[in-house]
Amino acid sequence: MSFLSLVGVEFSKIRRSKIILILLIATVILWLPSIFNADMNFKMQSEGISPENNFLIQGFMGMAWFMFPASMVVGTVLISQTERSNNGILKMLALPVSTVKLCLAKFVVLLALAAVQILMTTGMYFISSAIATGIQNYEFMLSPLFVFKEAGLIFLSSIPMIAFFWMLSVCITTPIFSIGIGLASIVPSVLMINTKIWFAYPMCYPFYVIASEYGKLATKLSDSEVSLIPWLPVAAILTIICLAVSCIRFGQAERR
Amino acid sequence: MSVSLECKKIKRTGFIPAFLGGGILAALIPIVNMAVRSKNYIGLSNPPLQILLDANWQMMAMLNVLLIISGACIMYHIEYADNAIQRMKTLPRRESNMFFGKFVLIMGMFIIIFSIEVAALAFCSLKWFPHYTDLGIDLLKNFGYCIILTLPSILLSLVISSACKNMWVSLGIGVVCVFTATMLSAKNFVLSLFPFALPFQTFAGTAPDKVMQYIVAAIIEMVIIAIAEIVFLKVRRAFE
Repeated sequence: MSFLSLVGVEFSKIRRSKIILILLIATVILWLPSIFNADMNFKMQSEGISPENNFLIQGFMGMAWFMFPASMVVGTVLISQTERSNNGILKMLALPVSTVKLCLAKFVVLLALAAVQILMTTGMYFISSAIATGIQNYEFMLSPLFVFKEAGLIFLSSIPMIAFFWMLSVCITTPIFSIGIGLASIVPSVLMINTKIWFAYPMCYPFYVIASEYGKLATKLSDSEVSLIPWLPVAAILTIICLAVSCIRFGQAERR
Repeated sequence: MSVSLECKKIKRTGFIPAFLGGGILAALIPIVNMAVRSKNYIGLSNPPLQILLDANWQMMAMLNVLLIISGACIMYHIEYADNAIQRMKTLPRRESNMFFGKFVLIMGMFIIIFSIEVAALAFCSLKWFPHYTDLGIDLLKNFGYCIILTLPSILLSLVISSACKNMWVSLGIGVVCVFTATMLSAKNFVLSLFPFALPFQTFAGTAPDKVMQYIVAAIIEMVIIAIAEIVFLKVRRAFE
């Protein structure tokens, strides 16, 4: 089986899972307060950030700090439990398909879920900024190119985090531990972005990236430039380690 | 009887170690925070316990609520996973008894976790604020207040996970609810009554009349949620 058709199989497995609905509700709830509190954006001009930029970045920060990582934990639970619940994983392992390919195909599905959520958030941004524009009589809509650049940055920076969550769900078969460790690891990310070793903690990457974008747009805040040098190599190494461990461990608990 | 049965069920799910681990993690937050950044807090004029809670309670409460949600998911996941719930339904017992058994169990675990957290807070205030006299009484008041305000969220997350057969659906809804709770502003009284937002409240720094309002509201919520669950179970049984 080619890798692409395996990915297709994995997608058809989660077709009836209602995960998209849950992600959609989350994004709607994310933007509702932004619409109601749109006038707060004008007060932030003292920080040197324009109201329309503030509207976008505050919304994205709300997503990147908790909603997005937590939905990815839910996604890992979905992917692992659909297989384990009726021992479907045993059938998959009996097929003449390499487990590494199988593991990576599932990871691709998880990445796709992440992309879907970010795209939905971006779509909701355009809708809610149009509404806010109507209410406040002020142009909140930013150029789509800029919005998609920010969204793309969040997605790229979240890949190590997703790989880490995927490793958790593959290695720890007791669901409460993989869920618990995953969710608990999100909470300290607010503290980690203020430390010097933030690049060693993949869960805070999306939040760090978007927070530093905020620093760039707000002229009066201190400029916290993302230093690529320790970060990119560390992130790449962490991703590779997480994926390698999950590929090796994939299906081992069932094959015993 | 049903509580001891629930205790046996969760034996090999890792429920108890996960809760204890989460409680210890939450208890470490104020200790680490004070150890690293004690300069930011020592000079403040508020009562020491209020300083500690203002600085740390949001994160500790977040961990607590996440623990509640994942615990509730697991408790119903073990019922639904291999159709064990069908056997439970054939027994001559009410289905709602099982629900309340699970509720009592999580509540019991939570009292243990809160004790760990309160012990950590006591340690912090003894170590960094040695001239604090009313520590014992303040801590006990906080302890009771937080437990009462946490109960509605335990009930609601159990309702969610009893309603959904698939663990990711209940976990997803729970996560969305926690996220909503973090987005709601604490200044608006009606919005802060959302069950998942209540555990983020603290006793210190809340006006006494507000405290009573919150307690009454929490009790009313608990009654409503419990009745809703009983009705839901009856209706679902009638249509299955």
